[in-house]
Amino acid sequence: MGRGGGEAVVMKDVVKVYPDGTVALRGVSLRVRSGEIHGLLGENGAGKTTLMRILYGEIRPSRGEVKVFGRRVSFKGPWDAIREGICMVYQHFSLVPSFTVLENLTLSMSSIRRASASEVAERAREIMERTGLKVPLSEAVESLAVGVQQRVEILKALMRDARILILDEPTSVLTPVEVRELFNTLRRLKELGITVILITHKLREVKEVTDTVTVLRRGRVAGVVRTPDVSEAELAKMMVGREVVLKVSRRPRKPGGAVLEVRDLWVRGERGVMAVKGVTLSVREGEILGIAGVQGNGQRELAEALAGLRRVEKGRVLLMGRDITNRPPSEIYMMGLAYIPDSRSVGLIMELNLVNNSILTRLKRFLGRGSRVLWGRALSFTNRVVKEFNVVVESVRTPVRYLSGGNQQKVMVGREVASGPKVIVASEPTHGLDVGATEYIRNLLVRLRDEGRAVVLISTDLDEILQLSDRVAVMYEGRVMAVGRPEEFTLERLGLLMGGVSA
Amino acid sequence: MRRLGSWRLVEYSSTAIEVAGSVAAGIAVGGAILALLGYDPVKGLSLLILGGFRDVDYLLSRATFIMMTGLSFAIPMLAGFFNIGAEGMMYLGGLVALVVAVYTGNAAVALVLGSLAGAALGLLIAALKVFRGVNEVITAIMLNWTLHYVVIYLVTARFYDPLAPHESVKVPKGARLGVMDVAGGRLHVIFLVSLAAVALAYYLLYFTRLGYEIRVSGLSPKSAKYAGISPRRAVLNSMALGGLFAGLSGALNVLGFMYYIDNLLTSMAGMGFDGIGVALMGRNNPLGIAFSSVFFSMLILGGQTMQIVMNAPKEVADTLSGIIVIALSLPYAYRMLVSYLRTRRLVRGD
Repeated sequence: MGRGGGEAVVMKDVVKVYPDGTVALRGVSLRVRSGEIHGLLGENGAGKTTLMRILYGEIRPSRGEVKVFGRRVSFKGPWDAIREGICMVYQHFSLVPSFTVLENLTLSMSSIRRASASEVAERAREIMERTGLKVPLSEAVESLAVGVQQRVEILKALMRDARILILDEPTSVLTPVEVRELFNTLRRLKELGITVILITHKLREVKEVTDTVTVLRRGRVAGVVRTPDVSEAELAKMMVGREVVLKVSRRPRKPGGAVLEVRDLWVRGERGVMAVKGVTLSVREGEILGIAGVQGNGQRELAEALAGLRRVEKGRVLLMGRDITNRPPSEIYMMGLAYIPDSRSVGLIMELNLVNNSILTRLKRFLGRGSRVLWGRALSFTNRVVKEFNVVVESVRTPVRYLSGGNQQKVMVGREVASGPKVIVASEPTHGLDVGATEYIRNLLVRLRDEGRAVVLISTDLDEILQLSDRVAVMYEGRVMAVGRPEEFTLERLGLLMGGVSA
Repeated sequence: MRRLGSWRLVEYSSTAIEVAGSVAAGIAVGGAILALLGYDPVKGLSLLILGGFRDVDYLLSRATFIMMTGLSFAIPMLAGFFNIGAEGMMYLGGLVALVVAVYTGNAAVALVLGSLAGAALGLLIAALKVFRGVNEVITAIMLNWTLHYVVIYLVTARFYDPLAPHESVKVPKGARLGVMDVAGGRLHVIFLVSLAAVALAYYLLYFTRLGYEIRVSGLSPKSAKYAGISPRRAVLNSMALGGLFAGLSGALNVLGFMYYIDNLLTSMAGMGFDGIGVALMGRNNPLGIAFSSVFFSMLILGGQTMQIVMNAPKEVADTLSGIIVIALSLPYAYRMLVSYLRTRRLVRGD
């Protein structure tokens, strides 16, 4: 079992079909040489994380085989993988915030074998010495910067004698300085003979730190290359290049005046760091503005700030000339902005029926004296939505949980559209829908645009963006990388921009 | 007659199976325990279930208080909040109603102020949770005991009746809610008041903005936030309502049934907790609670009858009632607990 030169991981023809029928991997093979830094590049839904969760023993492949250091393995759970020296560091850390670093390390060690705190501390110091990974042992984890917390995670893995370290999008939460430090650490680990697998969608990072790259696209391998041999542009093409699936008819239309203006918008994300960093955009009547980008680059925060769901730290949002910055969402919705969230479990309450759901976002329109809910009015509105948007349902008293995904989406979108908004912010409106429902929703968006409404379409699906948009904006790390007509973007250029490379 | 849709069939049949299964399981286990202890299971169970009907007025009056504490648990639960403080709210409501009745001689004023006192206590518990992150179960249980002893102290040391020192001063005649004659029998007026309160709760929950916001927040705090509804405000509102009904329970107990508070609180103790079982059996629905409170009252009184007739210890009767209540509440309680745990994270991490 050689360290240098041999193969640390071999995965062959791995197929993963989830119980709900989603095919995440369609026969993926992966070879990772021992002691290299291997990049796993791909868009959302390409299957990167699924593949690594299989290697880590968290989920089991439907088909295919996995070899670690030449030995065929079949993990029942992560503990089996850990025993083989495989460790995974997630985007969301698994640390106890109120514990000190040492306590966290002791906790993680105790799942392997019994060790006293002083033994753990001694070992941690020794590893820190060897790898140059500096972490304050006696401080509470919650008081540490995100970058340092990540180092704790890596240290935790090393304490467990990790020989293969998997990092899932490790830079998404880091500042540029922390990224540089992380990469230095990874290089040092490589010198120590540790194999690193880096899941990422960022081209620059792949070029900067990896030795070999495997590019995944929609559950298949799109290419395996030695990093020095490829350019970022070639990687981008591999990552996004694909055939168009659906056709939507769209006639040219002259847009009117701007109805939604966003000026130098700054918004914080979940972790308190800025997720939207100075975005300026305007959307005109009768126009679809597509916002492309890999998930997690500030699109959601942008959408939520527009809808009043997230505080704007700096900058302004104007809806038809009126300032709606930091107004409550119910007020913004009443003023003519509709927000279709990316998750149906947010936009709908699954246990409640269609009538109850149809009044959710504009409750005020259905209230009589003494804040009485006018169920009669709600009922006729619901019937209108069901009729106009061809919702297939036996009765409007049916809890939406019993509807198909496509019909749920129609209820959610229909509710928003039927209220007659001027601006519609739609986030992943066709996510998880079948072909028929996808086509319906896309044509609906085009129809709304033809009626003179303004649509902000946030999507990670590039086909959708390019087919529907009159203008395209690409977001990367909270900034707009470029805005232009869809013709100005080749897939390759889009891929580069989404990966953070100006083109 | 409209066709039963498939989802209706699913919902109704699963509820029917659930209830039938629960009753069967409760009776089977209860009967087995009785047989094991050497009692006649058929006789024991029939006494337990029918014994309470010997005095219908008493049965319904006892149901009144737990109907109200049932609402007190159910409404916060619909907002995703665990109210275990009905006990303390009830004591406080009873005390305030007594004092107000003694000083003003007006039943209506006493009833309203007693209820409002409960509401204020509910708001306090909710506010501590929402604004300071203090666990509501701990706050509520501590307040339950604090009020328990405060009320006992005041009844013993301040408002005692010189003629019967273990009792408080009596509610003046003019401020009492009385008894009426109905179809040859008697009925305490408070039962009607409690039915009106159930109707009010039902209306608030299902026909007003307040109720809609409470239900939406409890089912899906994420959706509530998306719609611009504040789950925190919904929790505060729900606890004000929960406190109101528990306070009303205490006020009704004092003004319309006991007319005083005894210095061990025997007329109220435990009824706040009984409300949890009542609410669970009634599926947190006010109309369901109206029925389940009577059922619960039936078990309690039937248990007492069983003790007397069969000479069985109190614990046997309590065990039997307990098993039936648990069997009827368990499936729903489980589902509720799951959604409660889901909600809790979101309300705090605001």
